[in-house]
Amino acid sequence: MTATLRLRPSTPIVEPAVRLTGVHKVFGRGARTVTALAGVDLRVDPGEFVCLLGASGCGKTTLLNLVAGLDTASSGEVLRNTSRPAVMFQEAALMPWLTATRNIELALRLAGVRRTARRQRTDELLDLVRLTGVGDKRPHELSGGMRQRVALARALACTTEPDGTAAASELPSLLLMDEPFSSLDAITRDVLQAELLRVWEATKTAVLFVTHDVREAVRLGQRVVLLSSRPGRVVREWRVVNPSAAAEAETVHEINGRLREVISSHVAA
Amino acid sequence: MSLPDDSAPPATETPPPGGAPVAVADYGAVGAGLDALELPTANSAPTTADRLRRITRAVLPPVLAIVLLIGIWQALWAAAFWPEYKLPAPRAVGAELLNNITSGQVFGQLWVSVHRAVFGFLIGVVIATPLGLLLAKVRTLRAAVGPMLSGLQSLPSVAWVPAAILWFGITPSAIYFVVLLGSVPSIANGLISGIDQIPPILPKVGKVLGAGRLAGARHILLPAALPGYLAGLKQGWAFSWRSLMAAELIANSPQLGQGLGQYLEDGRSLNDMPTVMAAIILILFVGIGIDLLVFRPLERWVLHSRGLTGMA
Repeated sequence: MTATLRLRPSTPIVEPAVRLTGVHKVFGRGARTVTALAGVDLRVDPGEFVCLLGASGCGKTTLLNLVAGLDTASSGEVLRNTSRPAVMFQEAALMPWLTATRNIELALRLAGVRRTARRQRTDELLDLVRLTGVGDKRPHELSGGMRQRVALARALACTTEPDGTAAASELPSLLLMDEPFSSLDAITRDVLQAELLRVWEATKTAVLFVTHDVREAVRLGQRVVLLSSRPGRVVREWRVVNPSAAAEAETVHEINGRLREVISSHVAA
Repeated sequence: MSLPDDSAPPATETPPPGGAPVAVADYGAVGAGLDALELPTANSAPTTADRLRRITRAVLPPVLAIVLLIGIWQALWAAAFWPEYKLPAPRAVGAELLNNITSGQVFGQLWVSVHRAVFGFLIGVVIATPLGLLLAKVRTLRAAVGPMLSGLQSLPSVAWVPAAILWFGITPSAIYFVVLLGSVPSIANGLISGIDQIPPILPKVGKVLGAGRLAGARHILLPAALPGYLAGLKQGWAFSWRSLMAAELIANSPQLGQGLGQYLEDGRSLNDMPTVMAAIILILFVGIGIDLLVFRPLERWVLHSRGLTGMA
């Protein structure tokens, strides 16, 4: 990779939450194969917020599926050292026949949490996403932003241990997000981004966040990883920890430039 | 507030860096405001006037339609286009109905027919549900049996009556056989299309949440397929009822008791048009009654709870 990472003062000895080494993913057989990922290396530390950035067709979603365990790599290694990952999609994908509370409880139930612990944990999660009063509403009675917050709470429910406590201390938790805010309006997206940062700070979970919005990536991530398209490769990464507003704008500008280059290079291909 | 365009932000109003405590408090307030704005306003409880208006709107049109129909019938009868034995007076049919009801005969007929149809329908549900699940999930089985099942659905079940009589004789078994062949394909096909129409994201979510095959079927597949399944059940009931009438009309023996189909057939053999029409009205009455009392409320509940209310 052509990383221009300034290494942290002390090289960490922490076990990574996720590590991808030389991951390839090829779809189809024979002449019609499509290479989605070609030699991707990626590391996410416990508690770290990493944004994966790329134009369409860069295999962002494929990569997320591999980490989530929904798909297997054609070659290379996908290591995940976390509790069951919490996954959020572009759509809230709540079960339309269940209330918000029941949707969260379903996740806990499938995780094997007992009934009384379930109730308590659901209340905690609803509190966490600031939806305390609307637990008995059904998805169609909620706004898009609220639906995504329920989906966030449901995803986080996955990391719950069967005894009903938040994820055990020995295994870090991981939140995988596939463009979760891209179908929301600008104001709601802005609020939800802030909410996500708050939840991230409160839960200390590692986050792997896929987006095609440069500004979103720079605002949310501690690290932004740019992927090329068809096949997906890591082009470059940027570390963006608490920059000043000017530095943030500068980074957005720089990444945008690089992203345009990557996209333009596909005209010939 | 950061806008999602990718131009450089204006120099004046730069967004605060995410995560600063002041910003979080601000966003909390904005978020709460958004929630308050975007939450669909709950309808205030309907007043008595509202309720009255709704009932009038639901009841009045069909009543008017029936009155109009009887009016036309009466007019045609009065004009005497057709002889009396072909088109009896509405009054004569009403008298026959009333006679049937006051003599108590009607309750026996209704019981014989309705209990047979309901029992046959329930057996159909028990057979068709696992069949539908299996066909929806096992691809080769579906390729093999699916077209046949759809074909059976379009085959008028009255076509099975001769075979049923030859196999089972004129017995209740023959009647149930015909009812089952009418209802099972509809119910199974309804369940299959219900499962086909589940958005693929829902099973995917189930997988992500750690649902195995069985838990996924129970907590996600079946509830998600419920609207389609219900439509299948509704059609399955209609087919049960039709098939039963066909079977009762043809398979006629004292041993089978007097159902609505036999009542209709009696009317024909006696050349008694009022009886024929009274029987048809009773058969229609049962069909509409079961639909209004059982399936309509079920359907409304299922669709309403998912925000899918097509008609108010």
